[in-house]
Amino acid sequence: MTEIQNDQELLALFKIPASKEQAFTAIIKKYQEKLYWHIRRIVITHDDADDVLQNMFIKVWKGLENFREDSQLYTWLYRIATNESLTFLAKAKKRNSVSLNDDENGLSNKLKSDTHFDANKLEWKLQLAIQSLPEKQRVVFNLRYYEEMPYEEMSHILETSEGALKASYHHAAKKIENYILNN
Amino acid sequence: MEKSTEILNELMAISPALAAIERVNVFTVPEGYFIGLDEKIATTVFLQQDKKTAFQKVPEGYFDSLSDKILSKIKTREESPTEEIRSISPALHYLKDENVFDIPEGYFDDLSSRILNKIKESNTKVVSINSSRNWWKYAAAAAVAGIITIFSFQLFTTKNPNNNHLIANSSRMPEYIQLASQYKTDKEINQGIATLSDEEITNYLEKNTTILDDETLINNTDTKELPTPDDYLIDDNALNNYLQKINAEGVNKNTQ
Repeated sequence: MTEIQNDQELLALFKIPASKEQAFTAIIKKYQEKLYWHIRRIVITHDDADDVLQNMFIKVWKGLENFREDSQLYTWLYRIATNESLTFLAKAKKRNSVSLNDDENGLSNKLKSDTHFDANKLEWKLQLAIQSLPEKQRVVFNLRYYEEMPYEEMSHILETSEGALKASYHHAAKKIENYILNN
Repeated sequence: MEKSTEILNELMAISPALAAIERVNVFTVPEGYFIGLDEKIATTVFLQQDKKTAFQKVPEGYFDSLSDKILSKIKTREESPTEEIRSISPALHYLKDENVFDIPEGYFDDLSSRILNKIKESNTKVVSINSSRNWWKYAAAAAVAGIITIFSFQLFTTKNPNNNHLIANSSRMPEYIQLASQYKTDKEINQGIATLSDEEITNYLEKNTTILDDETLINNTDTKELPTPDDYLIDDNALNNYLQKINAEGVNKNTQ
């Protein structure tokens, strides 16, 4: 199996029992890094990102046969990854609702507990600033800032208009800038 | 220079005051303006001539595809993410490539095989629930019967003269153990179970689920009427709806 198979070919192979696992492995390899970083930036720690990534691919395995090819596989995978990550945070928030007060998801604390964390370094301030954003704005910011995703694709993943996404990104970037300047 | 003196003399004759003013150029030109000026002028002239000839010869079908060409140009000119963040916040633009997150070495190397193994494991572990609650009742009844039998047996043994201390302690035993002493035969035990409500059985099982082994559940379940895994994926509420449905069916059967 070549590395550069397109999604249509992979989906067709997935539907044939003999090549199902092979096609699925190729899909994982093709998208694993992009999806991992997308999830990691939402849930912060590697262990949580690993859990969410594995669970999302298990769901992909179950749902891929019924995947409608009128939408792109890439967009569909991102949508599942986003939903799984946000669901994971919601569950964590529910579990810890008593102990957490200042930071709803405890994500800032997770950042601060990283062995390399340095509050004086701009790159860590940036991460803390991103965590101060509302959940959906944070996802929009990450997708545009780190993954340079076109608004059109993002609108399919987040089911939001391109105009609203642009405005959200603009507000997010300004908020982050203010946070960095004032902290 | 002779010519210049002549001109000056001429001016002095006309207006001595004007001739006395020093000649200074008050106008400035942009730096380097004259460098390459000749080429610029030549190109402009050339383009204008070219336009004149082209104007009379519009390529065939030129206007048919003009709107598409303009639209595609607009699209390609749409601000790139890099330009966009630079215009919103130059500081964020410069921070962009700093990644603070670590990742274990070789993490992606065996990720796909770990996921496939997990899928295979989860496929073998799937335990489904029957469409009615009968299996649950049987399992609950078996568990409750077991407990009642054990306590009944213990209380029977207290009648033995060698175990007098147990008789003495029976009055201090919890109420449910004292109640269990009334069930001495299989028939009495079955009658006792029949008086238990679903709620009592459920409460009991919630506190004592370890009594049930997986095999009992598997042997008493029917997977035919379960929603498919795809249903769970497409709709988060599929399983909840299903459980509510079988719950309602159970209630209806009990009230009939």
